Amino acid sequence: MTAVTLAVLLGTIAAWEIYCRTAEWLRPSLRNSDGLWAITRDRIDREDGGVAIVGSSRVLFDINLATWRELTGGLPIQLALEGTNPAPFLTHLAQETSFKGVLIVGVTEFLFFSPVPDVDDRYKTLVAFKQRTPTDRASQWLSMNLFEPFAAFYDPDFALFTILRRQPWWPARDGLRLQLPAVRKLANMDRNRQFLMWDRVERDPAFQKVARDIWLAYLSAPPPPIAPGTFMQHVQGVIAQAQSDVAAIRARGGEVVFLRSPSAGPFLELEHAAFPRQQFFDPLVKGTGAAGVHFEDFADLQGFELPEWSHLAAGQTPAYTRALVPHLRAALASRGTPRRELGQ
Amino acid sequence: MLFNSLTFVAFFAIVLGLHFAPFLSWRTKKVLLLLESYLFYAAWNPPFVVLLWLSTAVDWLAAKRIDTATSAGARRGWMLVSVSANLGILGYFKYGEFLLGNWTALMAAAGIEWHAPAWDIVLPVGISFYTFQTMAYSLDVYLGRAKPTGSLLDFSLFVTFFPQLVAGPIVRPADLVPQFARPPVRVPGRLAWGLALMVLGLFEKVVIADGALSPAADLVYDAKTTLHWTDAWLGTLAFSGQIFCDFAGYSTTAIGASLALGFSLNDNFNYPYAAVGFSDFWRRWHISLSTWLRDYLYIPLGGNRMGASRTYINLMVTMLLGGLWHGASWTFVVWGGLHGTYLGVERYLQRTVGPTRLTQAWMFQVALAMLTYFLVNVTWVFFRAADFATAWRLISSMLTLGSGAKVLNAASIAQVVVTIAAMLVVHGLMRERRLEDVAARAGAVVTGLVVAVMATAVIVSQGSNNAFIYFQF
Repeated sequence: MTAVTLAVLLGTIAAWEIYCRTAEWLRPSLRNSDGLWAITRDRIDREDGGVAIVGSSRVLFDINLATWRELTGGLPIQLALEGTNPAPFLTHLAQETSFKGVLIVGVTEFLFFSPVPDVDDRYKTLVAFKQRTPTDRASQWLSMNLFEPFAAFYDPDFALFTILRRQPWWPARDGLRLQLPAVRKLANMDRNRQFLMWDRVERDPAFQKVARDIWLAYLSAPPPPIAPGTFMQHVQGVIAQAQSDVAAIRARGGEVVFLRSPSAGPFLELEHAAFPRQQFFDPLVKGTGAAGVHFEDFADLQGFELPEWSHLAAGQTPAYTRALVPHLRAALASRGTPRRELGQ
Repeated sequence: MLFNSLTFVAFFAIVLGLHFAPFLSWRTKKVLLLLESYLFYAAWNPPFVVLLWLSTAVDWLAAKRIDTATSAGARRGWMLVSVSANLGILGYFKYGEFLLGNWTALMAAAGIEWHAPAWDIVLPVGISFYTFQTMAYSLDVYLGRAKPTGSLLDFSLFVTFFPQLVAGPIVRPADLVPQFARPPVRVPGRLAWGLALMVLGLFEKVVIADGALSPAADLVYDAKTTLHWTDAWLGTLAFSGQIFCDFAGYSTTAIGASLALGFSLNDNFNYPYAAVGFSDFWRRWHISLSTWLRDYLYIPLGGNRMGASRTYINLMVTMLLGGLWHGASWTFVVWGGLHGTYLGVERYLQRTVGPTRLTQAWMFQVALAMLTYFLVNVTWVFFRAADFATAWRLISSMLTLGSGAKVLNAASIAQVVVTIAAMLVVHGLMRERRLEDVAARAGAVVTGLVVAVMATAVIVSQGSNNAFIYFQF
């Protein structure tokens, strides 16, 4: 029995791995897991200052950590999480740690100002960090050292039931409450949480269309049911909380920079229409007293290739980072607070 | 440490290696098993190992004193020490907040404004299981069913044995302690069968409970609105399968891990969704708890020896406390109360109508099995719902075939329908069979193939390190 089991098991797993590598373009990548985030988050407690990044997927994809280190001499602590409102993470670093370095906060307006509390599941990453057990640590270590670097199929987007649920043969159900499609795999991750766009998104037109169609479904979805007046009240509350958080970090000698990363196409059109910077990004920067860098203010932060309108192509991220760092330096220097963390 | 984690895979490989090392004595292997069991438990929250030590020390001492006591009062006193210590630990950690909340509500009802202090107590994993297991040891000695063991090492291992420590099966001392006395006799194929059972258990947990059923159940039970009756039913059916595969999956993995090490644990589930009636259901569902409640609560209360009315009361008290054992919430009490009612009604019908040719006909039996499953599903609503508002919303949609929001898409519906149908067919076919016999008849090649398919599904599903539902109990 054992011999049959082992032979069939090894055969099927090997076949699945070969299929994933050849037909699905997969390569081994670390999982963008809560455990890896927690390991990265531990650096906040271990290191005295430095640069940390919180935000959503744009700062996660767009900032090239190796290039950043080359320019500034330090490796940023990348804590951004895809599809997630970074405001609770800003609060966490401000109120629950003694962080006193430079904090880059990526602002994607429809997430940062979301009226939906704890938007997206990745908020749970912070909860999981606080409840981490010894076994969680051990499992993460085993997985990222013995399994993930070798098994291409071990990717959440290619889990059995994820594949099953996204098949096109399922009929539509009448009267079903709106359900947005699951976002497909867009990037690969390394140990430093460098998230670089998956080459399939850039080079496979059919897959690129899938990625864009999913975004179009999100962009055409009705906004959460909330009265306009109530929403602007909520925005004021978000800014007030951010102000308190920024003040806490600055009081310890740290600095905060709000960063609006590039977007394009229908994404940018909707963001211009629904979240004009005069009502959102600018009041946030002004209200908190922090520095701010908006990509539309600088020609050298524009014109990059965004294959699915929201994130930079992997090859573009070094150039973008080279262009970005001087603007961050300038934003801080102009306020009289140059930072050694940025090589100033 | 979760069975469905890489840490456990590595841990168990080391445990097996040490356990079968030819150069270690049996005593050394037992000491290692004990230390490994403490490590297994400490992997969640190291300080809570102290509770295991406390439980071990109290019942070791109490059982000895009960055995050597010369007066009935002393025996009774030491028995109460054991019961108070175990229920005290359980009460403090598990029911403290519940009691405080109810006290506050009672005060408010009496017009007295009283604010309970914050109760930030972390519930130690599996506390309901190991307190019941150790308490059974002292109670067995008190009731004259067993003599205290002479080996503290064997007793400590009985309390702490890692495969069944946190979610059962709840093992009786007489079933396990003697197995530690000497090395297990070598049985060809036992290790492989134990590992195969572990694969089956993980398949139930990772693939069926977490992969196929949990998303639909979560979507339905987390919806904050009235649901269409189909969604309410599908969500509840999904939960019925999820809770079975989650819990039976843990038990099967635990039994397999024990068997791989050479120890035998009793079955905890016996295809309960093929049960015909509720006494049959409770002979098949969480067998180690239902027999524990029977032997240490129902029978001491008088069982069925004190007249019909008292029997119904004893049944109801046992099931209400059984419900409360699962969780510190009134919804669990209602769950237990419904089962107590079902058992009482069944008992009444059996006594007044009795078996007839009609009730023995196979079609009638199938209809009864379906009725049993239907009524069990009604109870699961209270077990799964976070509060009564959710439970009533679900129940009213299910029983009135009401309209409302549709939240399950075609993929979710197909997964639930196919999985539940397959599960009911398997339960029906296996109702009178044993898995070991079926595997033996199928032969090594077919069994090996089935195990390989399940192992592949576990790996390709990837899992999500979800804790087993019964850990919270």
